[in-house]
Amino acid sequence: MSLVSRQMVEKAGVNVDELVELLVRNAAAELTTFYYYTILRVNLIGMEGEGLKLITEDARIEDRNHFEALVPRIYELGGKLPDDMKKFHDCSACPPANLPKDPTDVKAILKILLKAEQCAVRGYTHICNITFGKDHRTYDLALAILHEEIEHEAWFAEFLAQGPSGHFARNTVGESPFVSKFLHP
Amino acid sequence: MKVFTLAELARNDGKEGRPAYFAYKGLVYDVSGSFLWNDGNHLGLHRAGGDLTGKLEEAPHGEEFLRDFPTVGILDKS
Repeated sequence: MSLVSRQMVEKAGVNVDELVELLVRNAAAELTTFYYYTILRVNLIGMEGEGLKLITEDARIEDRNHFEALVPRIYELGGKLPDDMKKFHDCSACPPANLPKDPTDVKAILKILLKAEQCAVRGYTHICNITFGKDHRTYDLALAILHEEIEHEAWFAEFLAQGPSGHFARNTVGESPFVSKFLHP
Repeated sequence: MKVFTLAELARNDGKEGRPAYFAYKGLVYDVSGSFLWNDGNHLGLHRAGGDLTGKLEEAPHGEEFLRDFPTVGILDKS
């Protein structure tokens, strides 16, 4: 299948096969992050950990939303997800956000969360850069995700006292204020 | 430090269990242990076994990421 929407992107000078590969790998990063954040979140306990639980849940649900939002674009561009879930996991654009050796070390968990978000920020910045002015739909989607990933990064960084607060907060859990327009009920 | 020719470097492509090396600005890096270089393939955009000098400009990260990987040699392009 070669839709006109793909042809337009090719005609604009984008290597669509490479773009699709990046989208698949970032979709893998989102879904695996959702999984790994589930484990990190349940280990956020105690006086320090419980304070991080809610924002970790926001980031976890929003990362799943990013996966959901990316998938239609992958197929629109003629791509597909791997049939094998393990292959999907292993092609992720970001390394696994594994639980630290000491799961009671809240600061170590926080650093893992921050590193995962920073990987995502780099990835979507790259996709925005290669689609800007060429593939409007992918750009719009990647930019929406980038907005949320930057907020996640800022949030976790603030807990590590790495900068002044950006006051990232959600009205509802996993609200996805930027990506929600790409999600279908 | 071991001196690699381009042909020797190309044999370390990360496929079928072979080490994954690439060169950057004359140094050869070992990325075999990196999740992001599985099978010598980095995000579907770059392959191990070659000289990737110049490719980093296209990447959303800088040279600082190379510090995480051991250098195993130098590249002789002559």
